[in-house]
Amino acid sequence: MMRKILFLVFAIFLLCSHDLYLKMDSYFLDVNQEAVVSLYNGTFEKSENIITRNRIQDASIVINGKRKAIDSTQWIDKDTTITQLVFTPQKEGTYLAGVSTKPRNIALSADKFNSYLEHDGVLDMLEARKRQDLLEEDAVESYQKHVKAIYQVGKAKTQDWSAVLGYPIEFVPKVNPYEKYSGESLALQLLLDGKPLPNQLVYADYLQPKNSHSHESEAHSHEHGESTHSHDNAKQEEHSHTSGQQLRTNEEGIVEVQLPEDGIYYVRTIYMTSVDNHEELTHESKWATLTFEVTHKHGSDTHTHDEDHHHESSFPKWIFILGSVVLVGILFFVFRKKS
Amino acid sequence: MKIVYHSITFLFFLLFPFLALAHDVSSADQEILRAGGLLAYVRVGATHMLTGYDHLLFLAGVVFYLNSFKDILKFITIFTIGHCITLIGATYLGVTANEHIVDAVIALSVLYKGFENLGGFEKLKITSPNLLAMVALFGLIHGFGLSTRLQSFDMGENQFLAKILCFNLGVEVGQVLALIPIIFIIKYSRKSKHFSAFYKAVNWYLVIAGIGLFFYQMKGYFMGH
Repeated sequence: MMRKILFLVFAIFLLCSHDLYLKMDSYFLDVNQEAVVSLYNGTFEKSENIITRNRIQDASIVINGKRKAIDSTQWIDKDTTITQLVFTPQKEGTYLAGVSTKPRNIALSADKFNSYLEHDGVLDMLEARKRQDLLEEDAVESYQKHVKAIYQVGKAKTQDWSAVLGYPIEFVPKVNPYEKYSGESLALQLLLDGKPLPNQLVYADYLQPKNSHSHESEAHSHEHGESTHSHDNAKQEEHSHTSGQQLRTNEEGIVEVQLPEDGIYYVRTIYMTSVDNHEELTHESKWATLTFEVTHKHGSDTHTHDEDHHHESSFPKWIFILGSVVLVGILFFVFRKKS
Repeated sequence: MKIVYHSITFLFFLLFPFLALAHDVSSADQEILRAGGLLAYVRVGATHMLTGYDHLLFLAGVVFYLNSFKDILKFITIFTIGHCITLIGATYLGVTANEHIVDAVIALSVLYKGFENLGGFEKLKITSPNLLAMVALFGLIHGFGLSTRLQSFDMGENQFLAKILCFNLGVEVGQVLALIPIIFIIKYSRKSKHFSAFYKAVNWYLVIAGIGLFFYQMKGYFMGH
């Protein structure tokens, strides 16, 4: 018993169950361009912990229908918070990268568990606890995380975005995200053990490539992982991991994510169930995220640059140039006549 | 007279290729930066300088006033040092400002140069500021304009300083490429007996263009907020 208690205490301080994402500076790469994919363990904006290699159950890259495992030695720790993979894509195509972590347990007091359910958007479980009058019950949760990223190398599109990695839970787009543009929407199917998961809460948000909003200045953490992670600022009630679109999968496990602007999109969900008749666990959760980038169409009929940021291109330069030459000519004749 | 006609005609054909480049430079640049490595930043820097008419107009104003190659080299060097400082420094430190405001100030630099070249200060009986110091000051402002432009792109986090330096290198390449025909036109037109009229025409044009660009940017600032 003591051993279990010690393990649980250890878990609180040393194990991490923050959101996990595969994040890149840009999801548009060129062939032979060195790129870095980072495991962000915290929020999409700030990683708080590295991922130890022994936690990684699977790490794969899929291109041209072939799935290649990422050797654990290829991962490097940038610092104490970010684990990275440096790679150089050799072929054009729509790549899929995935990482799956092993389940781990965490013990939480009732208050902490309720707070985590609220701030991480596990609202169905929170409601169930309220309904069943279980809000005072402590929890021991088994959690596992399964994350994917889809990135485009060169111009050629491949079908690898649709690959099912066989993770316990995973998002699978219904169309290539790189054939979608800002202003459109993207359908994603959520699979639980390979089957569509209906009526599941899904959250989608995005960061603009530049000048994106950030939570870094805010004290922001939950006691749900390797490090203390608690909401202790004045905006606690407003802040959560659930910013952006709150969606719910339909009967086919599909959500339609709106893509209002250019940006790096991240979609997340936590599927949690109660565990009955287990001597240790009270809950089990499976976390899934998917990241990709969206840009805009570049046809002359679809050009939608923000004038405020790209005002130069909004001015018809040909008018400026022709007008300038004509004006210089007219002025020249005027001054010549004068002289 | 013929020489000046040739100069104006040459000016037109010199600028003509920019008509093609003028469309959708921003989005094209962003795609180039996404797809390319550091060389893409050199390319975008050069393209921005070659298609950035405010920078070119100011440079033309500076060069128009100068007679010797030594002076041209001196002033261009000062201008280059100025814009390198703010381009690299502001971008690296993430210092930025509203693009419209910065470009409005750059437009005023064009107006200033035309005004100065036309002897505006003498006519108003005001001592004109030190020319070299003003060019250095405007170099800093133009560099800040280039920096705000660069910062409007998604640069990512990798090789950040190298990207800035490559963009800067591209700006210098673009500046040299732009200066060659500008100096050629001015040198060529000096041989004409109508050079005085051409000089006035171009510098009055700089004043008008400076005012026009200033109001255009201010309109963008107020309409965009």
